Amino acid sequence: MAALSWRHHTLIQSLLSRGPLKEDDFASIFSQLTVKNSGSRKQQERKLFNEYLKKINAEFSCVQLELRACRNQYDGHVYYGVVNNVEDDQSKLGTKYTVPQIAFYKGIVEAIIHDAEGEGCIYNTAALNIRLESQVHGATDSQSQGGAVQIPPAFKNFSMSQKEKTLDQLVNDQWLCSTPEGKIGIGVRSFLDLRSWFRTNEVPSCEVCNEAAIKAQLCPNEACNVRLHSYCLEKKFSGQRGEKVCSGCGTQLQGSTVKAELVEEITNADVHLQNSQQAESSRKRSRRSNREANADIDDTGDDSSLTSATMSKTKRVTRSSGRLSIN
Amino acid sequence: MSYPPEIASQFDIPDLEKDKLVGEVIRYILFKTEQNSGCPIRREELTQLITAKGYKQRNFPSFVIDEAKSKLSSIFGYEMRELQRSRPSAAANTGRASQSQQSVGDAKSYIIISKLPSDVYGKFVEDKSSVHLSGLTFVVIGIIHLAGGKITEENLWHHLKRLGLHENEENHPKFSNTKQALEALVQQRYLQKEKVNGPEGNIVHYELAERALDAPIYDKIKEYVAQMVQKDATPLEYD
Repeated sequence: MAALSWRHHTLIQSLLSRGPLKEDDFASIFSQLTVKNSGSRKQQERKLFNEYLKKINAEFSCVQLELRACRNQYDGHVYYGVVNNVEDDQSKLGTKYTVPQIAFYKGIVEAIIHDAEGEGCIYNTAALNIRLESQVHGATDSQSQGGAVQIPPAFKNFSMSQKEKTLDQLVNDQWLCSTPEGKIGIGVRSFLDLRSWFRTNEVPSCEVCNEAAIKAQLCPNEACNVRLHSYCLEKKFSGQRGEKVCSGCGTQLQGSTVKAELVEEITNADVHLQNSQQAESSRKRSRRSNREANADIDDTGDDSSLTSATMSKTKRVTRSSGRLSIN
Repeated sequence: MSYPPEIASQFDIPDLEKDKLVGEVIRYILFKTEQNSGCPIRREELTQLITAKGYKQRNFPSFVIDEAKSKLSSIFGYEMRELQRSRPSAAANTGRASQSQQSVGDAKSYIIISKLPSDVYGKFVEDKSSVHLSGLTFVVIGIIHLAGGKITEENLWHHLKRLGLHENEENHPKFSNTKQALEALVQQRYLQKEKVNGPEGNIVHYELAERALDAPIYDKIKEYVAQMVQKDATPLEYD
């Protein structure tokens, strides 16, 4: 079993120490580490990069971690990060956040994904008004017998100032992000980690890339459920002479505001995203048979990760109680 | 994963199970390090992980821990440094010194350190947003070192004040609560605290603990301090 070289170690440690990195930064680290022969073309470099990642993930498999990429839906950029694949006793330790803070985070994520407009963000004040009690298992379950559900005092006493502090911390640590309009959206770490959680919670997917369409454009036809990320929309219709129409119902779609150079970056990055998607889908096939038994959930990454103990409870709540109303 | 046959065969445990345990120990170390911000992990915690699953063979925990150490190095490039928990020097000065030193021998703990060369680390790996913590660590260790390895709390804050850090500051832009920032250094075993009953009441002393005294680190600190002070690297008398 060949050991990884110091170059692989540098890539791994940079992600563990600094958190998720933008593709440009990560690729730049890679090119500075690998000696470039004169005349090595971009394709060869890309190939070497993919080999590196493949080798790292092969070694990672014995510790249930994965180095993967995801797209930040707010700016279209690809980010790389190290993600935990299995929820177990060890991973439950790996966080500095307290249980009520995690419940607060879960509440915010749910509120964001349930946004009907596909905006993928909620107002700051709406976030602060989220009540933790709804995160307690069975609290909103319509089948509960009316018996007293034990709500931990820590949840009841989670004050507004604690919520504000937690919100700041979550944005700082990249679990949530702050949009230019001052609203709160899903952060890069959450995109990396919660990918399969989004799927199991039936978040509508984008027609083009099949990832959860949290911040996406909806088809103007109200009867049609098609969603597309702005960058996917641009990519699909770039170079086509026809009108931009919805693949579901044929209604005309608006243009997006994604810049042209981003489209090229997306085309290049998609190769790697697809690779990790293929790996994920083949894993999903083998996991599907165990799903009822294990309720395997992609857990959070290494640095400042969250426990997903409450996450599985949330899953059940969401299914039975439908949309969370925030006011 | 192949284990050297002469070692592996002592334990009648299938390779797959051994691999799984090694993986769990590694994950425990990584996640715990994140949770407690780099405080050393006691060896007992790791052995407990293993024995709690019902593996009672005598040398098995050591075997698993060694395997974890080797994998942390080959996969991540982290060294699992072993630290011996040191005792405050006051205890060593009493007559019972030798006995108490021996009972301490089992208190091993581990930290993970990057094995990358420092230029590579500084360029690619270092988290620039937390450099203030390294700075504080270095300064505090440097001060205590120049004080001969031990200093009273009052004196330490006297020197920190000259750098703009006040004992009762709670809203420092980088450290928020500066007293807590110092406490974190004790948790991480760079320093240890000791209360001494003096004629005027309790006096708190800080001295260097095992993480700061660990040979490669301590040598570097002495070297840097000597460069700054431009004298040779022997402790100065502090009165």
